[in-house]
Amino acid sequence: MELIKTISELSSLPAPSGFEDLAADRIHEMMASCMNEVWRDTMGNVIGVKRSRKAGAKKLLLDAHMDEVGIIITGNEEGFLKFQPLGSLDPRNLPGSEVVLMTDPPMSGVIACLPPHVLSAEEKEKVIQVKDLCIDAGLSDREASEQIPPGTPGVFKSGFFRLGENQFSGKAFDNRVCVAVMLDALSKLKDRELDVELYAMASSQEELGTRGATTGAFSIEPDYCVAIDVTFGKTPGSPKTGTYKLGGGPTIGIGPNINMKLYNRLVELCENNSIPYQIEVMAGQSGTNAWPIQISRGGVATAILSVPLKYMHSPIETFAVSDAQAASDILVKLLENWEYPAEQI
Amino acid sequence: MLDSIKELCALPGPSGREEAVRAYIRKQVSAHADEIIEDTMGNLLVFKKGGRSPSGPLMFAAHMDEVGVIITSIEDDGYLKFDFIGGVDRRVVLGKRVFIGENMIPGVIGVNAVHLTTPEERNKIPKLRELSIDIGAGSREEAEKHVKLGDAGVFEPSITELGNGFLKAKALDDRVGCAVMLRLIRDTLPVDTWFAFTAQEEVGCRGAAVAAFRIKPSVSIVLEGTTAADLPSQKGGDKVCIPGKGPVIPFMDNGTVYDRKLFEELTKLAETNGIPWQTKTYISGGTDASAIQKSGEGARVAAISAAVRYIHSPSSVVFLNDIAGIYRLARLYMETL
Repeated sequence: MELIKTISELSSLPAPSGFEDLAADRIHEMMASCMNEVWRDTMGNVIGVKRSRKAGAKKLLLDAHMDEVGIIITGNEEGFLKFQPLGSLDPRNLPGSEVVLMTDPPMSGVIACLPPHVLSAEEKEKVIQVKDLCIDAGLSDREASEQIPPGTPGVFKSGFFRLGENQFSGKAFDNRVCVAVMLDALSKLKDRELDVELYAMASSQEELGTRGATTGAFSIEPDYCVAIDVTFGKTPGSPKTGTYKLGGGPTIGIGPNINMKLYNRLVELCENNSIPYQIEVMAGQSGTNAWPIQISRGGVATAILSVPLKYMHSPIETFAVSDAQAASDILVKLLENWEYPAEQI
Repeated sequence: MLDSIKELCALPGPSGREEAVRAYIRKQVSAHADEIIEDTMGNLLVFKKGGRSPSGPLMFAAHMDEVGVIITSIEDDGYLKFDFIGGVDRRVVLGKRVFIGENMIPGVIGVNAVHLTTPEERNKIPKLRELSIDIGAGSREEAEKHVKLGDAGVFEPSITELGNGFLKAKALDDRVGCAVMLRLIRDTLPVDTWFAFTAQEEVGCRGAAVAAFRIKPSVSIVLEGTTAADLPSQKGGDKVCIPGKGPVIPFMDNGTVYDRKLFEELTKLAETNGIPWQTKTYISGGTDASAIQKSGEGARVAAISAAVRYIHSPSSVVFLNDIAGIYRLARLYMETL
């Protein structure tokens, strides 16, 4: 399975929080080819299972949220659509951006901005908040009301571009890169017999508050879980700590949300197999699905594996292929070499 | 003209680097032109004979250049510092892609992730010196393999038909004018006409000054893309002009008081021939006419423009039928000479 091709395909699908069907359908297909059973649950999570060769084996869950940030239409004014965000958006990225509205067939729109010629110097310094922005879809107010009614979701329109030698730029890499990493690991383990019962979940509505993962973990009842998400890539002017170099390897989280023995195991595997990695200290809320999963039912031993991503939640998210590949390699090694008896964790 | 507009908008042509656009236009006109001059500014001046000679030279003008960015420094960490070519509101480049140099090297201009910023930071537009173009290079050496100081870049040429009769693209200002001129050049013309495809309009109408000096037009009509601000937040006259209401015939902007007699002739021609037209209801912007009017001993100038939303941004929008109206009106005018 070609990782870049999968990332390109999955990230092109419009699937914002609460409206993940297009991504879910494709992920379902891809999971089905490497797992014994795949299903969708009430929250829209895609869950698959690969049965263990061991009777009474412990359950290990890999989780990667499949939703992306987006927008939802709330009405229109003179044909220009009003909207609110799905997930958190920096309004500074919006004026002049192109969006895809998820009508059938999909329609294009442009987030409007005023020409510089009519603005004063002070006006050009102001950030326009989402409530004052609107989307131009080239329609009259009647056409807009009929064709793009309130409740229509949308996503950024963005291509998939190589940047430099090792990086790619596009939309929805948070978190389709990690879904692809998970699928890549699953495909490499397809023909292996494992000592754990392996669950894989492409979860829904993470960007709205880790909602899909909460119910998904409840129904699966895993013993262990590795949540795969993106983390902050270093850019000029980004804070010195809490940001990670692209190409420096995926990050392994450490902190209260992470089980220390799982953490140690992951670090050990990287060291023994010369896989590049970085350590990400997470003092409290990790901002990932691991947060609710850790306290599901009687508790789960969780770990967090992340791919550094620049410009998160923008149409120009950027990651390094080598980091994604290394993340997949770590997951494969973890599952192939599952040495931990249940008692140890 | 739609295909022509799409092809023109896809080409990179920041002010001073109009090569690709000029080459395309030259190719399109060579079979139809009687004379083609490329001058030191990079203007492409095309002459075509018509049925008769006008009493004084007639010159249409449309500019080939677009706003963009130019690389001012390559940093040690591989990121690029830049400045704007032409008037760009820096708010519209945040979160966008640019393409640099003749090899169209992709780069992105980003702000820090929303999670890493405080509400105060998110309420401020970063200063130009705080912005960088990221071409995915990890070091100065790596960046220097792909770009050099002074390379110019343009917005992403993502061209989309929008809604009911609209087109979204970069550089509609002023590839729509160029497309109309290409269409006129293919016609059998009623009068001898000069078509000036000008350079460097966005940095001060500089190509037009030089073109007008050489051609010495009596009458010059500029075909432009002009500032529509017809958002719901703008009321009445502040909308300036509106896509869908026909070609814009301005009486005045910040650079020119247009020739009154020409203004009245053009508006009357539009009325008599059932071409809806509008004017700019707010004095703003400028065109090559500002340079042409003051060239030599002076020229009489008019403009026929398309109302373009989000001008000088990656996603400008025009109503396609308005452009057809510009072509028709230009032809009708030529027939009166």
